Amino acid sequence: MCPSCAVCLNCACPKLFLTAPFLVGRYLLCEVIVPDRRHLLLLDDRAVAASVREAVARVHGDYGAALCSSRFSGYRSINWAPTVLSLSSVKYLNAHTGIVFLRFPKRCYKLLWSALPFITSIEARGQSIACFLNCLHVGGTIRTCQKFLIRYNTQQLHRMLPKCKNEEEKQQVKKSILKCTLTKGNRKGLDFPSDDDED
Amino acid sequence: MSVFMDLNLNYTTDKSRMRSLIETAAHLGFSTVAINHVFEPTAKKKQEIPSPTLIKELIDELPAVQGRSRPIRVLNRLTVVMSDSSHFRPNAAEYRGFDLLAVQPTTEKLFHAACMLYEVDIICVSVTEKLPFFFKRAPVNGAVGRGVVFEVSYSAAIRDSTRRRYTIANAVSLMESCRGKNVILSSAAEKPLEIRGPYDITNLGLLFGLSDADAKDAVSTTCRSVVLHAETRKLASGIIYTMKSCTESSSLQGAPPADTGEAPAAKRAKPHLT
Repeated sequence: MCPSCAVCLNCACPKLFLTAPFLVGRYLLCEVIVPDRRHLLLLDDRAVAASVREAVARVHGDYGAALCSSRFSGYRSINWAPTVLSLSSVKYLNAHTGIVFLRFPKRCYKLLWSALPFITSIEARGQSIACFLNCLHVGGTIRTCQKFLIRYNTQQLHRMLPKCKNEEEKQQVKKSILKCTLTKGNRKGLDFPSDDDED
Repeated sequence: MSVFMDLNLNYTTDKSRMRSLIETAAHLGFSTVAINHVFEPTAKKKQEIPSPTLIKELIDELPAVQGRSRPIRVLNRLTVVMSDSSHFRPNAAEYRGFDLLAVQPTTEKLFHAACMLYEVDIICVSVTEKLPFFFKRAPVNGAVGRGVVFEVSYSAAIRDSTRRRYTIANAVSLMESCRGKNVILSSAAEKPLEIRGPYDITNLGLLFGLSDADAKDAVSTTCRSVVLHAETRKLASGIIYTMKSCTESSSLQGAPPADTGEAPAAKRAKPHLT
């Protein structure tokens, strides 16, 4: 799977492109924390990308806004169908858990990362959701972030276990913990119940 | 794995808000937090120093810290905003209930006095206004030698744009004089949405002019040395250690008395604290 696109394609990308130095980036694994979990379901990746870009523009001005939108162009339009790709920096969003993968270019990721604490709300579907982003992990590829995410979700399940109210929920959580693996070809092998007890 | 601490959570009388603040801090990975009571004495009226809250009253069961099995540790802290030297009375009896003591000087003389003389743990750098004085190397180095740290709080920067400029301006000038050592970064959060995770704060430290290692220290190692400094400050002459639960006081050997003029070795903030 090509690490630079969000969708698993049978890319015609030659291996040469994957090792090109300007293709490297940093993937930030962030968690959106809201006081009310139901607002999480309103999120979509465009809203998150817009709020990230707006925060970077607010804090770092035009320089930050320019860095955020610098994407490698040119050969892409030749090799890939442009409709499939999204050029935004949000590579993955899970609305149930609030996990977001953000992609930044490697030379300036710290500067853009420093604008993330200034996000106080996300505009999604006409509503303004008060929230903040907590960065959990920085990785060089999506795969390392996925591995961290599996471990993190396993930890969250362990934290959920003492809070389960009845035996049935406990069994569900235990089964999910045992099922946590990173299987080949899948984005995540983790499937856990969207429990209301999850903190 | 480092221990992250956030030593400034503003106290509000709303208990549910305090509870959700502490739970959010535990979820983000902070092992220790301190509830801050700000005391601003005015010259005319005599005001009482607020009493520290009992942690058991505030929250029944302390939540476990993310990534660890121990519950979060909650301390009490008092910040005295000083505009006059009579505002801070050293060794006042009311201060004994608090685990951490902080002072926020507003004039250059007070800043000098706080760095060199006062028995405090933290000196706060104000973020809501342009500093009326510059940081001079002499008192800053004196404070560093005694183990007193400087604190920059960041939640004002998150709330407001002009405050953001003041925060960054004051923080950058502080970092220049103290060279990045003995600084802690903390939120002065009033709502649970104003806290940020430890890695985000480390990155904010880079914005303020700290190096990578110094920024991470500002959230972990230096905070830990502040807590230890506060504990030793409570010891009478550095030798006797009274435990709250026991009726007798057990003595700890090995530290010279503080009234010889030299701070005990445990008081100085060392770069590597095990």
